[in-house]
Amino acid sequence: MSTIIIGLSLGMLLFLLASGLTLIFGMLGVINFAHGALYMLGAYLSFDIAHRTGSFALGVIVATVVVGLAGIAMERFALRPLYNRPHFYQLVLTFGFILVLTEAVKLFWGLGYKEAPMPALLSGSVDMFGSTIPVYRLFVIGFGAAAAIGLFAALERSTFGMLVRAASSDSEMVQTLGLPASTIRTAVFGFGAGLAGLAGAIAAPLFPIELGMGTNTIIDCFIVVILGGLGNIRGVVAAALLIGMVRAIGYTFMPSWVDVLTFAMLIATLLTRPQGLFSRPVRSA
Amino acid sequence: MKSHIQATSYRLAAGVGLATALAFSGNAFGADPEVFKIGGVVSLSGTYGVFGDDMRKGVELAIEQRGGKVLGKPIQVAWEDDETKPQPAVQKTTRLIADGAQMIFGAVSSASSIAIMNIAKQRKIPHLVTMSADDKITLPGASRYTFRTSNTLGMEQRMALAYSKDQKLKRVYGVTADYQATRDSWEWYRKEAEKAGIEIVGADFPPLGNRDFSSIADKIARSNADGIALFMTGSDSITMVKQAGQVGLGKTRKIFGPVIADETMAAGVGPTSVGVNSGVRYHFTVDNAANKKFVEAYRKKYNEFPSSAAGEAFDGMAWWLDVVEKTGSWDREKWVEAFAGSVRENSLEGRKEMNACDHQARQDGLWGEVVAGKAPQPAYVMKIAKLYPPKEIFEDCKQ
Repeated sequence: MSTIIIGLSLGMLLFLLASGLTLIFGMLGVINFAHGALYMLGAYLSFDIAHRTGSFALGVIVATVVVGLAGIAMERFALRPLYNRPHFYQLVLTFGFILVLTEAVKLFWGLGYKEAPMPALLSGSVDMFGSTIPVYRLFVIGFGAAAAIGLFAALERSTFGMLVRAASSDSEMVQTLGLPASTIRTAVFGFGAGLAGLAGAIAAPLFPIELGMGTNTIIDCFIVVILGGLGNIRGVVAAALLIGMVRAIGYTFMPSWVDVLTFAMLIATLLTRPQGLFSRPVRSA
Repeated sequence: MKSHIQATSYRLAAGVGLATALAFSGNAFGADPEVFKIGGVVSLSGTYGVFGDDMRKGVELAIEQRGGKVLGKPIQVAWEDDETKPQPAVQKTTRLIADGAQMIFGAVSSASSIAIMNIAKQRKIPHLVTMSADDKITLPGASRYTFRTSNTLGMEQRMALAYSKDQKLKRVYGVTADYQATRDSWEWYRKEAEKAGIEIVGADFPPLGNRDFSSIADKIARSNADGIALFMTGSDSITMVKQAGQVGLGKTRKIFGPVIADETMAAGVGPTSVGVNSGVRYHFTVDNAANKKFVEAYRKKYNEFPSSAAGEAFDGMAWWLDVVEKTGSWDREKWVEAFAGSVRENSLEGRKEMNACDHQARQDGLWGEVVAGKAPQPAYVMKIAKLYPPKEIFEDCKQ
């Protein structure tokens, strides 16, 4: 049972991170390589605020907002002039952002490991089904589930979601109708970046905070997005839970084969269902 | 006739060219170069990224303390990041040697150091290791050109075994990073522990750079182990100890390993690192005049206490440069001969003696426990709990 709970918590952390990446790709067609670096920035900001103020919640809020604002600035001043150019330019630009963000983090916080304190309310562990489960893992599962529901509601039920979907399917028509398509695109990028910052802040008490943390995690994140189907939010939820479970089962029964199992699943998917396990052949957002 | 003169001219020009090239190459590595070039290959990113910067600081202080010169020439260090991977280490070492490096310093990971060691051997360039602990680096007769002034994994695993016996552990669960050096180390520990009557109740080999150890922590929590032996370091050991702490493993079991904790790693773990035991490479609290002077200078320059990586790098480079100075020669072979068999009486960690047969420095072994630090020390520091003399932790060196 503990394996299932650990798998769910890993899956939900992956979902928080991958949802922003797939949202940006689905709505804007941009593959944001810097998503992992934004996740790292969120973790550092959350650690810093939590240490200064003693408030974990404030750290989460500040990390989400600041990283979201950084995303807005990235889209407005760097990505927007490149939309009409080949995708290659976007890839190079977002890769460049990784270097810039890494250097900025190094400048502010140095190279050493940092430790985000576990919030008192969520620290400790509980005995469940014969295992000891950290309370924070249960919080991550609940928070991830709430975030998934909120994201669906925002995209499927709200006016903003309707505008976003319209701008992603026919940006010129939206512009012709007098709606601010460019602003919507900027908002989507900022929202996606904010989700990366949020994921970093939520993950911070669980893992060491270090410069390489984004690079390590972004590979899993891309696997989730590919398995779920590029741009497919529902697919990301399912794929994140699937990868979380595969990893948890792998860590429990064959730790040295975890990466092999994960990559084997990715290769099998690309060979048999290149559109992703949870997408139809035509891409949907 | 004209063609004969032309051919003679070409031969003459080629001869002059060759002579000039030989003369310049002799100048680059021979009698009297303009600068003493050191190629520093360390990890500034990747799993061991945090150590490389501290090594750079230690080396730069060692150079600064001798006025930036050796044999009357300025010392110039070119630093490269191997990203904790052997392939970039090879590429960057090759480039540094091509750029005229007269010695190579590094790396952090043993895989990178072994890769560098092979290039240094082929190119006959002295190579100084102050961090990588794989025993293969200093096997007797391994390389004429590679020297290690820091700990070996062998001496650290012997201290880990001694700790297991001292603590009267009965059942141990092992977690080992899936990496050749750590696997070899675990295998040695497992055999020796079983000989000593300690039962191995479980063992896992997660990949290097593993991101979540919660499943393994859960397996350990459900086992009857009274000791958890961790054969890993860097972000791996931080993540493992941190997640072990989240289910309270440190309260009911002894967590220890050859090299799982120092101030840098304890800072990443936080409060749950307190009570963790580990081999220690260098420590700023070692009580001798050389160390006090170094710690004072380091704090003045960098406004922090030196880490193990910084102390070992300083100590090794200071020793190497002193030996080079004593030879009074620019002949690299003479440096190598002089370093093999040299003795450092005033090392930061006491007396160190370079073995001529394997180029490993025999030295005291330090074993420590993480405790809360007192200002101005870091929040968590290693308290040196035991000191092992060389005869207890080194085997006799046989060719």
